[in-house]
Amino acid sequence: MNSECGVITFFSSQHAVHAEKVLKEHGFKIEMIPGPKEISPNCGVAIKYDYVLTESVKTLLESCNVSVEAFHSYKLPERKSLLDKIMGR
Amino acid sequence: MSIYLDNAATSWPKHPEMLKAMAGYLEDAGGNPGRSGHSLSAAAARVVFETRSLLARLFGVAVVDQVIFTKNATEALNIVLFGFLLSGDHVLTTSVEHNAVMRPLRHLERSGVEITVIPCDNRGYLDVEDLKKAITPKTKLIAMTHASNVIGTILPIAKAGQIAREAGIRLLVDASQTAGMEDIDMERDCIDALAFTGHKSLGGPQGTGGLALRPDFTIQPLIYGGTGSFSESEIQPDFLPDQLESGTINAIGIAGLGASVSWLLSEGLPRIREHKKNLIRQFIEGASNIPGITLYGSSNPVDNAGVVSLNLNGVVCSELGMVLDQAYGILTRTGLHCAPAAHKTIGTFPQGTVRFSVSAFTTTEEIDITLHALRAIAAASSETE
Repeated sequence: MNSECGVITFFSSQHAVHAEKVLKEHGFKIEMIPGPKEISPNCGVAIKYDYVLTESVKTLLESCNVSVEAFHSYKLPERKSLLDKIMGR
Repeated sequence: MSIYLDNAATSWPKHPEMLKAMAGYLEDAGGNPGRSGHSLSAAAARVVFETRSLLARLFGVAVVDQVIFTKNATEALNIVLFGFLLSGDHVLTTSVEHNAVMRPLRHLERSGVEITVIPCDNRGYLDVEDLKKAITPKTKLIAMTHASNVIGTILPIAKAGQIAREAGIRLLVDASQTAGMEDIDMERDCIDALAFTGHKSLGGPQGTGGLALRPDFTIQPLIYGGTGSFSESEIQPDFLPDQLESGTINAIGIAGLGASVSWLLSEGLPRIREHKKNLIRQFIEGASNIPGITLYGSSNPVDNAGVVSLNLNGVVCSELGMVLDQAYGILTRTGLHCAPAAHKTIGTFPQGTVRFSVSAFTTTEEIDITLHALRAIAAASSETE
């Protein structure tokens, strides 16, 4: 859990679900997450994806007219997340 | 099974009678109300009238025509603010307003409307004397919420109404968080305009809301168009509800809203209110004993419209919301709740809070489970690595 991941932030939740739909339809492994505090998106949700795929994700979203706020590289904390602790993972 | 504690965003679940009424509307009515003379149009018009009458009864509106349907409270607030205020006018508002009030006011400010924001204390309480002192000869309106959507603190609208009446100015109340829970009477409380949403405590579907106006309070329409009345004229009618209801209304939604308001009236608002306040009391008492939790707003449930905000020390509110959702199925709303002014007032800007809000259908068991979850999360978050 210490790998670098990509996080896409959005101005609107409608943009976020648009991006989720497009990326899923094209087989990308993604996850809707609450925005990490260092990034703090406008709409409260962000999309986590594999950072090495940034260029193809960018190209796809652009070609489908999906509005995004920004692409971030995000290093997941080394320590266990609160959710992992609660779930006993 | 989820525990839904996001009723301040929209209430869920809805009463089964509401769902039946919406299906029934399409089966038995379904025409365009007020647009044609045929039986299905008349049936639709009757359904809409029935809901209008119920809302008039609920809010103490003597003339049924003074209840206008809109798609939400935001639209109702905009109708009053843009239809009444002119450049050079002064308006008073409070520091716990939702952006549904703040954004139209900030826009109007650019065209010469002067705004004074009366500060509430950090629990959301407003001293009405501050309102009184801020009135100037240019003041035309007090625009204020009935209760904060962030911390639930109820504001003294009846006292504000008295002040407005004595000063010869108007009072607009945003009842988004209180309509269907708190006792509101436009006559008694001296309210000139009441903006309400249908899909929160009133229990109706999203896309419903409205505005109740005192008969002597004239508002210019925001939207002009067909009303089904005076079709020979190209001039907007000057009578209500038609003047402020151009275009086909959301009759199916209004049918659902009618059923849920009917249920509220038969159940009795005092009973529902007591239930929700008991849930809030249980939640506040339980959460205040959990180490690391900071509760915001009033500690007195009597002054609370069913909404509590909190933070857990060292945990970002969005992460706490996610853990509650993914580990326990407890659904809350995190962040700033479209109310930056309110968060500045309680000292949680820009980080925000986790908000828990109850409905008539929330149970004490659900609050117990939520408190148990909060205790477990607080314990886990304080563990050293």
